Amino acid sequence: MTSLRYECPIENFPGFRADAVSDDTVFEVLVEPKDARRLRTALMEMARVATVDHARRVLLVLEEPAITESRLREEWKGAASVIQPELWRRLSVVIRQSGKWTGIPVPPDSSDLSTLNEVLHHALSRKPASSGRSSEAHHEILRILVHQWLLGKGPLTISSLMEISGASHPTVSRSLERLAYCLTRHTDRSVELRIFPRDEWAKLLAVSDDVRNTVRFVDRSGQARSPESLLRRLQKLQRQDIAIGGIPGAKHYQPSLDLIGNPRLDLSIHSGRNAVDLSFVERLDPALEKATRRDESPTLVIHTIRRAESLFQPVDKDLPWADPVECLLDLHEARLESQALEFLNSFPATKGRPL
Amino acid sequence: MSRDDSVKLISPKAVLERIATAIPEDCRQNIIIIGSLAAGYYFFGDNSKLQVRTKDVDCLLSPRIRAIPAGQAVADRLFAEDWKLRTEGAWGKPGDAMTPEDQLPVVRLHPPGSQDWFIELLTVPESETDLDQKYIRLKTTHGHFSLCSFGFLSLAEYQPIATPFGIAIARPGMMALANLLQHTRIGEQTMSGLIGSRKIKRSNKDLGRVLAIASLAEARQEDALLGWPAPWADALKARFPSIWRDLASRVGSGLRQLLRPENEADLEEARHTCEYGLLVSQAPSPRLLAATGKRLLQDAIEPLEQIGRTP
Repeated sequence: MTSLRYECPIENFPGFRADAVSDDTVFEVLVEPKDARRLRTALMEMARVATVDHARRVLLVLEEPAITESRLREEWKGAASVIQPELWRRLSVVIRQSGKWTGIPVPPDSSDLSTLNEVLHHALSRKPASSGRSSEAHHEILRILVHQWLLGKGPLTISSLMEISGASHPTVSRSLERLAYCLTRHTDRSVELRIFPRDEWAKLLAVSDDVRNTVRFVDRSGQARSPESLLRRLQKLQRQDIAIGGIPGAKHYQPSLDLIGNPRLDLSIHSGRNAVDLSFVERLDPALEKATRRDESPTLVIHTIRRAESLFQPVDKDLPWADPVECLLDLHEARLESQALEFLNSFPATKGRPL
Repeated sequence: MSRDDSVKLISPKAVLERIATAIPEDCRQNIIIIGSLAAGYYFFGDNSKLQVRTKDVDCLLSPRIRAIPAGQAVADRLFAEDWKLRTEGAWGKPGDAMTPEDQLPVVRLHPPGSQDWFIELLTVPESETDLDQKYIRLKTTHGHFSLCSFGFLSLAEYQPIATPFGIAIARPGMMALANLLQHTRIGEQTMSGLIGSRKIKRSNKDLGRVLAIASLAEARQEDALLGWPAPWADALKARFPSIWRDLASRVGSGLRQLLRPENEADLEEARHTCEYGLLVSQAPSPRLLAATGKRLLQDAIEPLEQIGRTP
C-alpha cells in the first residue's frame, strides 16, 4: 500500500501545500473545476512543483470537471508549449468523471487507482458542501416537516430541526416564517405542519433537480442492465449511506400503490456536507454514463441528501429505504404524477383530506 | 472480392447435425465442437434466423488417449463419404511416413458438394505444462496428417454440453477463459487470411470472440457473467492443478490492455471480427464491446483473481 501524506509543504515553493504526497508522486486535486483559468493556474503550479522536486512525478487530479475533455486537452497542449519538456514529462492530469478514470496524456495505470481514490476521498472529505445556501436549507426544512407530518410523528422543536437539517437557528427560524401559513406552533416552541404546504411543495418541485443534485445515468451500450440487476449489485456493496427510493421505495411504504414495473432505479445518497462521491456507479454497471439531455430515459437516477440526518429507514443487513418524501419527489421527477398523488393521499395525515 | 468475403453464413444447428451424422456413431462421444459454431449453437441454435459467419469448424478429439483412434476413424469415414481435403493454401496434400510431424497437414475436410465450410480436427494438450503447439502423427487411409494441440484447449474440453446429435459442444464460458489465457497481451501476430477485408491481429480476433460470447451470455440471461468465476476456478484447478493460481492472476491482462483508450484501434479490430463472425446477425457497437469488457472484468475476472489469491 502506498504511504500518503496530506497537506504537505513543498521545499523551495513557499506558501504551497500539495494535497497529497507519496514516495514517488505529488498530487494536487481540483474538485468540480468549472473554468479553464483555474486549470491553467493549477498546471503552472504543478510545473513549479516539478521544478523544485526533481524526483517525483506530479499529478493533477480532476474530480468531475465541468470542462469538456477537448478543452482540457487544449489547455494541456497550451501549457506544454511553455514548460520545459524534461519537466513536462513528469506531469500528467488524471480525471474522474462519473466514477471513471481517464487521463491526459494517458489514463492512470490500474495499479494507481486505489491510491488515487484514497487521495480523492481525502480531498472530498475536506470540501465544504455547496448547499449551504439558505434556499436549499429551506427546502431541507420543508422536507423534514413534510416527512414528520406524513408519518404522523408529531411536532418538532427548533433544536431538533437544527439537528436533523444541520442548519443554524436563524436559518431554521427564517424557514419557519416562510411556512407560517401552514404551521401549528405549540407552546413548547415545537412546530408541525397543519396542512400540506402545496405552494411551497410546488416551488420545491420546480427546483428539485438542483436541490437534490439529481444526476441521471443512461446506458450507452445498447444492452442495459435492469434496475433489479443494479440493485443486486448495490446490495453487495453494503453501503448504508445509499437508500432505495423511487417506485420500490414508494411501494415499500404503500404496498397497495398502483405501480407496476420499474423502469429505472432511484437512489438517495447521504453525503451530508461532503461532496458526493458517485464512483460506486461504475460498480453497478460500467456502461452507465451521465445523461447529457433531460429527455434521455435514465436507467439510474441519484439524488443527494445534504441534511445532517439522512432520515433513511434502516433495514437489517440490507440497504436502507429512502424516506417517503424523497420517494414522493422521485415519483414526481419520473413524471408519475397520478401515482405521486395516490402515494401522498395514502398516508394517515392526508386521510379524509385528499390533496 | 477478398478471400474472406466469400465466407458464407451458416446455421449452427444444421452444420452440427451434418457433422454428427457423418461421423461414425462410436466416435461421436469423442468429439467436442469448439469455436464460433459451438457458441452460435449454444446461444441461438434454436433460431434459424440467426447464423454465424465461419469457415472452419473446429472438432476437438477428447480424451487425449482416444484422440488417435477416433481421429483415424473419423477421417477415414469422412474420406469414404467423399469429404474433400481442403486444398487452399500450402497444406493441401497429405504427408507420408517420411514427412516430419510438424510438416504434416492438419485434417481439414469440406463436406461433399460444398466449399462453404470445413471441419478441422484438433486434440487437447497432453499435460498442464504442454502449452506450446504440438503435432501428433495421424495415419489415415489417405495418408499422414497431424493432430494439433495447443495452449488452453483442455479448458474447452471441460464439462462439455451434450447435443441431441451425439456430439458435444464446448461451454462458451470455458472457450472465453481459454482465449483470455491464450492472449494475456496483445501480440503482433496477424491472422493468415483477411477478416472482412482486413488484416487482423490474432489476439484481437480471439479477445473479440471473448467479448462476443460475454455479450451473448448477458443478452440471454442478465447477470450471466456472475456465474462464470466458480466454474472457471474449478476448471483451472482440474486442468492446471499446479499452476492454476498463476493462471488466475493473469487471466485479465490481455483484456485490460485491449480496453485501454490508447488501444482503441485494437478494440476496433476486435469489434470488426465480431461483426464478421459470431455477431454477424447483431453487429455490436464499440460502446457495447467496451462495456461488455468492463462488465466481464468486474463480474468474472476480478472474482476469479480473488479466488486465486485466497489461500
